[in-house]
Amino acid sequence: MTSSETLTRPAPAAADPRAEGWFARNRSLVLASPGVAWMVLFLLVPLGMMIYVSFWTQTTFAINSTLTTKSWVAFFSSDTYVGALLRTLRLWLTVLALTFVIGYPTALFIGRFVRSKSIQTILLVACVIPFWTSFLIRVLAWRPMLGREGAVNIVLENLGIISQPIETLLFTETSVIIGMVQIYVVFMVGPVAFMLARIDDSLIEAARDLGASAWTIFSRIIFPLSLPGVVVGAIFVSVMVLGEFATASALSGRKVNLLGNIIVSQVGSLKWAFAAVIGVVLTVCIGVVVAALLRLVNLRKEL
Amino acid sequence: MLELQGLSKRYGTEVALDDVSLVVRDDEYLTLLGPSGSGKSTLLRVIAGLETPDAGRVLLDGRDIGALPTHRRGLGIVQQNYALFPHMTVFDNVAFGLRFRETAPVADPSEVDRRTRATLDLVGLTGFETRMPGQLSGGQKQRVSLARTLVTEPRICLLDEPLGALDANLRERMTVELRRIREALGVTFLHVTGNEAEALAMGDRMIVLDRGRALAVAPPEEIFAAPADTRVARFLNAWNLIPGRAGADGFEVAGEAPLALPAPAPQAQTYGVPYDAAWISRDPAPAPGEGVLPARYVASEFLGSKVVYLLRRADGKVFEVERHLSREDPETYAQDETLAVRWRLADVHLFDGAGRRIPLAPAGAPA
Repeated sequence: MTSSETLTRPAPAAADPRAEGWFARNRSLVLASPGVAWMVLFLLVPLGMMIYVSFWTQTTFAINSTLTTKSWVAFFSSDTYVGALLRTLRLWLTVLALTFVIGYPTALFIGRFVRSKSIQTILLVACVIPFWTSFLIRVLAWRPMLGREGAVNIVLENLGIISQPIETLLFTETSVIIGMVQIYVVFMVGPVAFMLARIDDSLIEAARDLGASAWTIFSRIIFPLSLPGVVVGAIFVSVMVLGEFATASALSGRKVNLLGNIIVSQVGSLKWAFAAVIGVVLTVCIGVVVAALLRLVNLRKEL
Repeated sequence: MLELQGLSKRYGTEVALDDVSLVVRDDEYLTLLGPSGSGKSTLLRVIAGLETPDAGRVLLDGRDIGALPTHRRGLGIVQQNYALFPHMTVFDNVAFGLRFRETAPVADPSEVDRRTRATLDLVGLTGFETRMPGQLSGGQKQRVSLARTLVTEPRICLLDEPLGALDANLRERMTVELRRIREALGVTFLHVTGNEAEALAMGDRMIVLDRGRALAVAPPEEIFAAPADTRVARFLNAWNLIPGRAGADGFEVAGEAPLALPAPAPQAQTYGVPYDAAWISRDPAPAPGEGVLPARYVASEFLGSKVVYLLRRADGKVFEVERHLSREDPETYAQDETLAVRWRLADVHLFDGAGRRIPLAPAGAPA
């Protein structure tokens, strides 16, 4: 190509505001379309389908598309299902509170008390090591720990703290909570430790110089600045716990039924309409929780 | 009155402070000038109690405050990066010290309100109370940081390179502002800086620190007119320092005719001429009471109110001449033109082998 050709070539369309190409005028639309198409196909359409199916008529062995509210009425008039909804919400709140109570101090230690960046990274990686084994093994490993003749009972008995093995450790709501907290606490530690490590030391020095006590510095400076991390961690934990079914069935001996467990069993017995009702209820619950958590802080400002 | 006695601090083999003794008076603006690594930030942090000295004492009004934690010392620090709390409004930032200090917090909201607003008014930020730090410019953040410290009424306010992050225009405005604010409150400012112009312009007195030692403590005019040490003269960036030795005919410089001495000083090893005391002439003949040095013209730099001429001496070193345009028009010279630099002997200072200024008999000694 000669230099004169280079000079006479028209400027690229993107640089010229008068360019008339359809693609140039709708560039942002064109760029957004693959993502939009993906979300419509694989999120909005299935969601719509689920809501639609939840109004279908379910007979014992068949389902047809005559619209009815029977499944919805059945869900909300059954003590079993409303009980499962309330149990799911109670378990979620308990696990969320425990992951915060255990996770925040851990994150505080990693993010603010460990001065070296490489040791911080090593500790965070150590938190993730349990994830190198499969989910099922991690959950099932709790059985020999919590059983009647499990490790916890043996240790407590040999220490003379208890004389009878604690029966309620395994196959109860307690064991489900223990299992879930162990698995999900790391999702709280990570984002919080990240936010804490970002706080500039000079802010702490400035607060100390202004005469604030250690508790005031924590409650007025450190905690508010780590709040976005807490919210992100809480969203992770909430979304995962609300949809849980595997931990619950493995550690409760199918005695603790969460909404997720009911969906699994209903789909197993081909009760599509009823499973769809529970699916919609669960989706609404998760949506409300995430929306409420996002109101707590302006995440867009932090990212 | 803050008194420092024999402060020393080392990090490993690195000496940060070496036997620094100093008196900071009440109601004065003290600037601390030093290049980076001179220990000036360490000195500030030791005074503030953020670092513990290896030796020496810090006395406030005769009381040893070395064992007190930072916030019990009655000092305030304005940090270089402002360290504003990003999640609080300007008002809450400034009110933080009043509301949340451990000892005697101000419980009355109207009192907090009154004092916070008064301080914001003092630093010229009335109307910015509800802004967040992210919505402020550098100069405004600087003022909030200052107000946050001043509202707690510290005995001494320590400022760590407060103008370092501001652009030149703003820097000049804040220079005036800081002096005005300090005078309005009557509080002592200890201002650490690496900028010689800032140290000269702002201080009632200035300290020059190098490699952990205080080289000079005096009013800026005195330090500027008669630096105590060649290193001080070098930091001021206003002196031509010519190495050589005092001989029978004057000050002998390698490759030059001897320079006239203002007074006999056999121990002199450095000959100092201020940039703005020299002038350029095409006449190389010696004259009584004047020093003359041949030099080749290199370049000039026009700085608005003055012109700086750069010339090269026979040994290749640069000699700077600064001429103020209020006194004369700029001259043009040809590149490499051989000229004569001249100065009055009364403006010359001599330094001995250790770099210390040799006290001379009053000017006007026969040349």
